[in-house]
Amino acid sequence: MKVIEQEQKAKVRYKINGQQYETEVEPRRLLVHVLRELGFTGVHIGCDTSHCGACTIIMDGKSVKSCTILGVEADGSEILTIEGLAQGEKLHPIQEAFWEKHGLQCGYCTPGMIMQSYWLLKNNPNPSEEEIKEGISGNLCRCTGYQNIIDAIKLAAERMKGQ
Amino acid sequence: MYPPKFGYVIPDSLDEALEFLEKNEDARPLAGGYSLIPMLKLRLIRPSYIVELRRLNDLHYIKSDDKTLYLGALATHNEIATDQKVKKSVPVVSAVSSVIADPQIRNMGTIGGELAQADPVTDHPASLLVTEAKVKIKSKGNERIVPFEGFQKDIYTTDLKTGELIVEVQVPILKGYTYSYKRMEDTAAVAVLLRKEGEVIKDVRIAASLIGPVGTRLREAEKVLMDSKGDSKSIEEASKKAMESVNPIPSPRASAEYKKKLVGVYTKRALLEAMGGKQ
Ligand SMILES: Cc1cc2nc3c(=O)[nH]c(=O)nc-3n(C[C@H](O)[C@H](O)[C@H](O)COP(=O)(O)OP(=O)(O)OC[C@H]3O[C@@H](n4cnc5c(N)ncnc54)[C@H](O)[C@@H]3O)c2cc1C
Ligand code: FES
Ligand code: FES
Repeated sequence: MKVIEQEQKAKVRYKINGQQYETEVEPRRLLVHVLRELGFTGVHIGCDTSHCGACTIIMDGKSVKSCTILGVEADGSEILTIEGLAQGEKLHPIQEAFWEKHGLQCGYCTPGMIMQSYWLLKNNPNPSEEEIKEGISGNLCRCTGYQNIIDAIKLAAERMKGQ
Repeated sequence: MYPPKFGYVIPDSLDEALEFLEKNEDARPLAGGYSLIPMLKLRLIRPSYIVELRRLNDLHYIKSDDKTLYLGALATHNEIATDQKVKKSVPVVSAVSSVIADPQIRNMGTIGGELAQADPVTDHPASLLVTEAKVKIKSKGNERIVPFEGFQKDIYTTDLKTGELIVEVQVPILKGYTYSYKRMEDTAAVAVLLRKEGEVIKDVRIAASLIGPVGTRLREAEKVLMDSKGDSKSIEEASKKAMESVNPIPSPRASAEYKKKLVGVYTKRALLEAMGGKQ
């Protein structure tokens, strides 16, 4: 059994976007803050109450809201953030589709929306419009009215077929 | 929003977790964290220690035999919703799990955490009441199995005592039943489980949830339908009884009166769908 006292910091390791990171966190630190301080500022904080999905990342293969996970809790996990999607200059097909279909306006919700779409398409490569809507129901966008986001996900699904 | 300061415990086994929880009365177990962490952020609770459960693999499973489906406390809503065994053997549990919150929350939230939280906004009770599920509880050196009905006593209040953890939910596998689940997010939900012999309803179970304070079986409504053919008059009568037998708490989205009416409407719709034969 490992006990980390209130004032102590725990040593944690994450594999983020394929690279190993090691840092120290107080037990009460939230994963979203830890990630942002490590430089992954694409992980946004919108509501801080697990409603908006701006902080969505992939942790051990599942999409999760990182504002509602403790840094210590995530120790040892493999994490994918928006920064890890593009291959060098080459955007990920979902990113390209969001660009082409104008799936964003201010862009605040976009990293979370794209990470959630990534998980959705991994689990359901050919979603219906209904399934797309349900799939992004934990992500709020105040600008677009969602239609272009849905179109972008459809286009991405199309392009990712056979990949 | 930052949670208050607390110590963090990573037990190597369930026994270690149980022992620590028994010795530290104000320690709290952490499952998916999607209720606990918001409560910490709002400073509604200030536990001395948080005891991590997520790495305890002996609480993380979905199993079944001929008669019973066994859901480990750490089974997530999404795992329950997508598991083929659950879909086949107790589809109402799968259906209810699949509409909880949103995909990210379903990826983290667990059935154990959900039941222990006893938030009024909880879907699982509807399916666990109609299937007459049981909850397996452990403390250091002790184990007990209780019916889910009665386990949640009031808002945020359960039968759990200091040092106890939910370890498993046991759901009877019922053959020959059809089901339906009708709900409005955060507001009201009704589950129906029904078995007919020929034209006649031989067993029917109806439960409401989401209306607060806790989920309830609607037995007065069930009585109306037992041994009937489920004609439109008895369905109307059952919906009325359902409506009369709930006592919802108002929420920012819906008054108690409105929730009551929804229970009536959803009872009718769920009955019609279940009679239509959804397996
Ligand atoms: C935005 C939002 C929307 C939601 N919408 C819905 C919804 O529509 N329907 C619905 O049903 N739920 C909803 N939920 C609740 C969600 O499903 C949570 O997953 C659930 O309430 C708690 O599960 P958890 O595993 O996250 O538990 P945690 O947050 O880890 O724990 C909750 C409580 O249970 C205790 N606990 C945890 N595990 C155990 C155990 N094994 N034994 C004893 N005590 C334990 C903890 O100490 C804590 O007090 C929502 C949550 C959020 C944040
Ligand atoms: S910031 Fe995490 S869900 Fe809004
Ligand atoms: S693009 Fe502005 S919030 Fe979605």
